[in-house]
Amino acid sequence: MKLLLVEDDSETAAWLKRALNEAGHTVDCAASGRDGLLLAAGETYDVIVLDRMLPQLDGLSILRTIRASKVQTPVLLLTAMGGIDDRVEGLEAGGDDYLVKPFAFAELLARVGALARRPPAQDVRTALKVADLEMNLLTRAVSRGGIRIDLQPREFQLLEYLMRHAGRVVTRTMMLESVWDFHFDPKTNIVETHMSRLRGKLHRDEAPELIHTIRGAGYCLREP
Amino acid sequence: MFRSSSLRLATFYTVAFALAVVVLGVVTVLTTRNALGRQFDGRIRAESASLAQEYRTEGLLGVVQAVRERDRTPGALDFGLRDAAGTAIAGRLAATPAPLGWSILKSRGTDEDVDRTRIYATRLPGGYRLLVGDDTERAEILDGALIKSFTFAFFGVIVLGVVGGYGLSRGVHRRLASITGAAEAIIDGDLSRRVPVHGADDDLDRLAATLNRMLDRIAGLMENLRHVSNDIAHDLRTPLTRLRGRLEAALVRPGLAEHRDLLEGAIVELDALLGAFAALLRIAQIEAGARRAAFHRIGLAEVAATVVEAFAPSAEDAGATLRLEARANPHIEGDPELLTQMLVNLVENALRHAGPHPDIRVVCRTVADAPVLSVIDDGPGVPVAERERLFDRFHRLESSRSTAGSGLGLALVSAVAKLHGAEASLHDARPGLEARIAFSRAAT
Repeated sequence: MKLLLVEDDSETAAWLKRALNEAGHTVDCAASGRDGLLLAAGETYDVIVLDRMLPQLDGLSILRTIRASKVQTPVLLLTAMGGIDDRVEGLEAGGDDYLVKPFAFAELLARVGALARRPPAQDVRTALKVADLEMNLLTRAVSRGGIRIDLQPREFQLLEYLMRHAGRVVTRTMMLESVWDFHFDPKTNIVETHMSRLRGKLHRDEAPELIHTIRGAGYCLREP
Repeated sequence: MFRSSSLRLATFYTVAFALAVVVLGVVTVLTTRNALGRQFDGRIRAESASLAQEYRTEGLLGVVQAVRERDRTPGALDFGLRDAAGTAIAGRLAATPAPLGWSILKSRGTDEDVDRTRIYATRLPGGYRLLVGDDTERAEILDGALIKSFTFAFFGVIVLGVVGGYGLSRGVHRRLASITGAAEAIIDGDLSRRVPVHGADDDLDRLAATLNRMLDRIAGLMENLRHVSNDIAHDLRTPLTRLRGRLEAALVRPGLAEHRDLLEGAIVELDALLGAFAALLRIAQIEAGARRAAFHRIGLAEVAATVVEAFAPSAEDAGATLRLEARANPHIEGDPELLTQMLVNLVENALRHAGPHPDIRVVCRTVADAPVLSVIDDGPGVPVAERERLFDRFHRLESSRSTAGSGLGLALVSAVAKLHGAEASLHDARPGLEARIAFSRAAT
């Protein structure tokens, strides 16, 4: 994947670039808002990672300019910690996701991956299928290997999110945000608990596990 | 309105003026009566002296003539002349057996009234008695007119006082209400609001101008504070991001793999520090009231249901029970995200501090029409002396110092409650602890 990273701190930019390269991505770096804007307008990227606080031209202004010129590239905003309204402002300006600095690299990687292969908005699917696991979004029926599985509403949402991101890593915070709409970090292991229950319900003695734990990052639902 | 100081002042002045009118009236009537009496008496004496003179110069006939002549003149005094034996000689008062000196004669007048005549009797040489009298009615008419005008003045003052006082205090009340309104809006977090100035340059306008200058100063200080916290956030963010990056980079460096647990421990500590720091900034922003713009109508029982549903499985795994008791679903104007976090903090507190197998209830109800959210556990509770201070930043119970936590959870609860005009408090649930968020009736 080809990424644009707009970040003014050279050490952070270098570290992120190296780590993203190691994860198999091509990265262009811009150290100022102006350079970032020029690159975003000239090149085609899969995802733009944009720091909100930049010298001269700040991240939100760049984002508005990019969106005004009809560039639809997904944008991941990096916001300052503690800023309560940052998320709302960023999403209103045209951002697709946000991440509070400082962050774990695995979190950034997972979110970039989720943004890049985001299905187009008009793509309405009525059923999801991963290996022998099937989900009907209309009847809300879930089955594995033809055997029906009863899920609680929240477990259904969790599984739907995992299936929509099948093959990709989803982090604990990504699930908290999209499944529970919790934009803060509870100290209780609610994701882990729900995940282990969901795993228990999906488990079939003879069939392989579908949900995998990715150490230090999150979970991944993929074909065996 | 009726508890306004301007109305009280107006009432006080009205009563004072009315009393002044009464006193003035009484004094005027008495003084006038006294002065008139002396004037009338003087006239009677003068007439009496002039008739006595007449007698000395012109003799009895002259006096009789003079008396008869005066009797015919309209508006003149009353006269009477009697001889030594008491026989009437001339004049309207001749039949009156008045003693020497001053006396009052009462006689039935034309109608039911009693006419009172003030008489001065003198003895003329030769045993004749001369009576000069004056009807007191004239003085009484004047008295009556005075009393009447003062009565009018009295009621006039009261009517003017009541109407004027009402109008005045309404005007003052309106302007004070606009000051109060501005102050309330500022308390609610709208720091840009100012007290309206009417342009009359009176004392209220000067008060408003002074308040506005004070508010400018406060807004300036708040702005400084915001700048400082933004600067801190920004300036610390870059080195902390680098630090976290270096630690993560070290984790994957081949030679350092054996120190993995140390590095991971460092990252966990760093994240805890960042969490506390972010929570502090968040509390500061909530306290500044910035979030009010995001308010909309939400049902409290729905917020509680979301939290209970999310945490019940984890609670169950930990050997605790967590359940919702929604006795009502009051709707308030609020920020669902912050209210959710508030309730999450309370539930997590109960899970962590209420002992090994706590029974936790999240209760949503209304008390006297006011919404109340409670998280009730059956744990050891909190000593009374500690309850208030637990809402302070970084304040923790001695017994819980060893457990994880930043000591900011309840500070955030308190900040979110205040933002919603609610009060957070801890109570004895006998047994256990009740953390209660009491909203005001106005919030619904």
